[in-house]
Amino acid sequence: MVRKFLFSVVFALSSLMATNAWADITVLVPSGSEGDGLRAAAADYAKLKGTKVEIVQAPYSNVFEQAANAGQTKSGTFDIVLMDDPWIPFFAENAHLEDLTPYFKKAGLEGPDSDFLSKSLAVCRNPYNKGPYVCLPYVGNAQMFFYDAAKFKEAGVEAPKTWDDVLKAAKALSEKGGGRYFGYVFRGGQGNPVVADFMPIFWSYGADMFNGDRTKVTIDTPAGAAAMKTFMALRDVSPKGVESYNANEVGQALAAGTAASSINWPNWVATFEDPSQSKMVGKISYSPIPAGTKPGSSEIGHWTMGIMAAAKNKQEAFDFMLWATSPEQMKISAQRGNPPVRKSIFTDPSLTSQEKFRHYPVLMQAIEASTPRPRHPKWPEIENAFGIELSKAVAGTETPEEALKRSQAAVEEITGIK
Amino acid sequence: MTVSIGAKFGNSFERWFERHLRVLMLAPAMLVLLTLTIFPSIYMIVAAATRISPNPDLPWQFAGADNFLRLLTDEQFHVGLWNTLLFTVFAVGAEFLLGLGLALLLDRYIRRLNFLKTILMLPMMLPPVAVAITWKLIYEPQFGVLNEIMFRLGLPLQAWAGDVRLAMFSVIVADVWQWTPFMFLLMLAGLASLPDEPYEAAAIDGASAWRQFWDLTLPFLKPVIAIALLLRIMDALRLFDLVFILTGGGPADRTKTLSLYIYQVAYRFADPSYAAAISLFVLFTTVAFSTWFIKRMRLAD
Amino acid sequence: MAHRRKSIGIQRIAAYATIAVALVVTLFPVYWIAANSFKYDIDIFSIPPQWVPANPTSKHYHAAFVERPFLIYALNSLIIAVSTTLVSVVFGSLAGYALARFQYPGRWRYQISFWILSTRMMPPIVTIIPLYIAFNHLGMLNTKPAVIIAYTAFNLPFATWMMKSYFQDLPVELEEAAMVDGDTRWGAFLHVALPLARPGLAATAIFCLIISWNEFLLALILTLTERSQTLPIGIAGRVTQYNTYWGEISAAGFTACIPIMLFAFVVQKHLVRGISFGAVKG
Repeated sequence: MVRKFLFSVVFALSSLMATNAWADITVLVPSGSEGDGLRAAAADYAKLKGTKVEIVQAPYSNVFEQAANAGQTKSGTFDIVLMDDPWIPFFAENAHLEDLTPYFKKAGLEGPDSDFLSKSLAVCRNPYNKGPYVCLPYVGNAQMFFYDAAKFKEAGVEAPKTWDDVLKAAKALSEKGGGRYFGYVFRGGQGNPVVADFMPIFWSYGADMFNGDRTKVTIDTPAGAAAMKTFMALRDVSPKGVESYNANEVGQALAAGTAASSINWPNWVATFEDPSQSKMVGKISYSPIPAGTKPGSSEIGHWTMGIMAAAKNKQEAFDFMLWATSPEQMKISAQRGNPPVRKSIFTDPSLTSQEKFRHYPVLMQAIEASTPRPRHPKWPEIENAFGIELSKAVAGTETPEEALKRSQAAVEEITGIK
Repeated sequence: MTVSIGAKFGNSFERWFERHLRVLMLAPAMLVLLTLTIFPSIYMIVAAATRISPNPDLPWQFAGADNFLRLLTDEQFHVGLWNTLLFTVFAVGAEFLLGLGLALLLDRYIRRLNFLKTILMLPMMLPPVAVAITWKLIYEPQFGVLNEIMFRLGLPLQAWAGDVRLAMFSVIVADVWQWTPFMFLLMLAGLASLPDEPYEAAAIDGASAWRQFWDLTLPFLKPVIAIALLLRIMDALRLFDLVFILTGGGPADRTKTLSLYIYQVAYRFADPSYAAAISLFVLFTTVAFSTWFIKRMRLAD
Repeated sequence: MAHRRKSIGIQRIAAYATIAVALVVTLFPVYWIAANSFKYDIDIFSIPPQWVPANPTSKHYHAAFVERPFLIYALNSLIIAVSTTLVSVVFGSLAGYALARFQYPGRWRYQISFWILSTRMMPPIVTIIPLYIAFNHLGMLNTKPAVIIAYTAFNLPFATWMMKSYFQDLPVELEEAAMVDGDTRWGAFLHVALPLARPGLAATAIFCLIISWNEFLLALILTLTERSQTLPIGIAGRVTQYNTYWGEISAAGFTACIPIMLFAFVVQKHLVRGISFGAVKG
């Protein structure tokens, strides 16, 4: 009996061994709206051109290692990877990505057309804004500043233009809130979250991680200290527990009406306006990032498509990318909920007249005033180290001064820049 | 064997089969484990002794003991090691005590209701990813139920997973919630198979319930306890999903465990060599500890 | 059992109260998952929390199982978990029996047992890289068999140890009697030991099932599309960069424990006994 059973097990297993019938092009995308959008586009493309495009969706936190694994082992599993822009230097400088120059030439093009926003194109070149194109932008995200205009007005601030305005209103609102309502809320979670919410403040005080020619790490500077001072003041008026917050908790606090302002990604606009998810429908305003001592600058967070060096069907992959980023397709993509990277779509009256796209002018402004995260192939390691120190400063286990000093030392150690 | 070639062949095969049964029965499991561990083991050792570049076109460089020497000075590794120890000791300890206590109670007072025992197993059956996300909601300082209960009881509200002092505690509580049932079940099973006679004798001698537990139950349970602890410790040492989702290692590095750090080094920093070195350290420590533990508990025989 | 003296009332009440508290603490988070899965997002984040969904909706179930391929994820998980469990229990029983009954030269029996256990001590995160390389070369990346093979390696040590100690607990005389009656050793294993080991098999099976049904890390790297992705991966995918879909996660997570729960109820009669035999002698 057991023997018979064993046979059936072996049989069942061998029938599962069906070989992998890979499609013409395989695209790695994150699960979430960016991936869903590209998946829908791929289905259209298959209908239109007969090219089968397979979409591989991995959890957001996992896309980087899936792509790095494939790149490091020269596996041709993926033809195209939809990348978060800070990953580009890592993939480009470790020969995981294909240089797109020859493909543009073959298509009779100089490069991407001038309808793309310049900041969106700049992240796609490596080195930044100078080198050859290694990818094409697809989803145009940049942080915006969200606030409850009515509450801010109550606190005596009409339209916040600077971090001092925000601080003034937030302080008044939190004091009045009695521990149940807060003027400001931010992502304090260790790692990517806290870094993402500190960088715009850092930049708006004129600080940067490196000097212009990359010969010095410039975190522990007077400008950095000024930014840190504002960041700590904002922490003091934020809810307890932001130390574990990520984008979702921050958005949720605004949607539930327990906090008055925050930095967040434009995807939240749709959520704030959906009555099944938000108590604040029609009440949340947005603006570009407030200014510090210098004009405000938000962090750019684009999703870009690049071709893997080990890809099997590079030409088909390039054709698909060109098609997917064309104005017609980008408009469809915008209607599916992903912000575009083209001027003509941002200013398309048939979109901007609709309620759900009313943030497009502000978003375009934010992208044009945005800054990329420091471009370095070791960015993930830098972000981790910086994230630990910022988390310690937010949690109060280390003074802000110490956090800056230790961040400076850690980044010097990682990059070898002294 | 009813093959038409004849009974003779069948018989000789059967005799051969019978003679080598002790090898043949062991073979499938050994083969699966060998094929699936040999390649990874070799890879780990080679990787730890080299410097693997994320660029596939660059050759692997021999690094000697560099990756292991880094362990001595790497502060993040020390933090991870300390947190892992802290987590393992308190989580497994609490799971053991609660599991044993609950098993003693149920064994003594409710012996029949099997479905009750199955219900108590529920936490173990939920996907850890969903468990982590649910606890995140429960701990949420503004909207969470836990703070609502604190509020109703008139206790000060806490930030739980977002508070440096409570973050590790919060992770431990969620883990204890999910894995106490495992301990409970093993203990319950152990109790169900205790012999009666010694207890009868002890009762005649007038030994207190406490003495009976200490002198009889515990020694009898020792093998179950040992196996249960060993299995849970091995699992606790590679805790990943829970911290990855609940805290991401923060705040202030207070919940960064070794496996989370290995994950970051291997995949985020794309440094499989150093990750292999840390893994080998973990492997050797675990093996050494288990060897000592098994000897100590006399599980080998 | 004579040692269990009739307890006085107060003690009994205190014991029942403690058990009741344990039940509440155990069940509340499960209830909370269930309750959240029926709430609109706005109600998941209401202050004070909604203890009972005021506005129940099946929206998240629709989103997970109709709009998204969670049904396929569940099917993949089922195929993978059941196959892994079958292979692990069969191979584990064979090896467990061999280690329990046969003599091996020197200290080999101890050494083999320990080596089998020690494979479980490998930190999985780094072993995934070589597995990824190997499966990639074999063209088996993103296939269910690859996951099944990896999980089998993961479950075998546990299955072997449990079955080994279970067989050690069975009286050897019964098998000897069968062999005196003309049965072979293999026959004695098949016809005598294995049927007696049914409770042990049930207990081992349920642990293998739980572990492979819920495993996350290996599946994360080895699976890519609906062809092989499992429920935990599908669930983790609802934590996106900008948003966490609490309702869908709760719906999928709550549904995920139902099949295991059913299996546990079916075999519960064997369960406690099975584990007892399995673990007592280590």
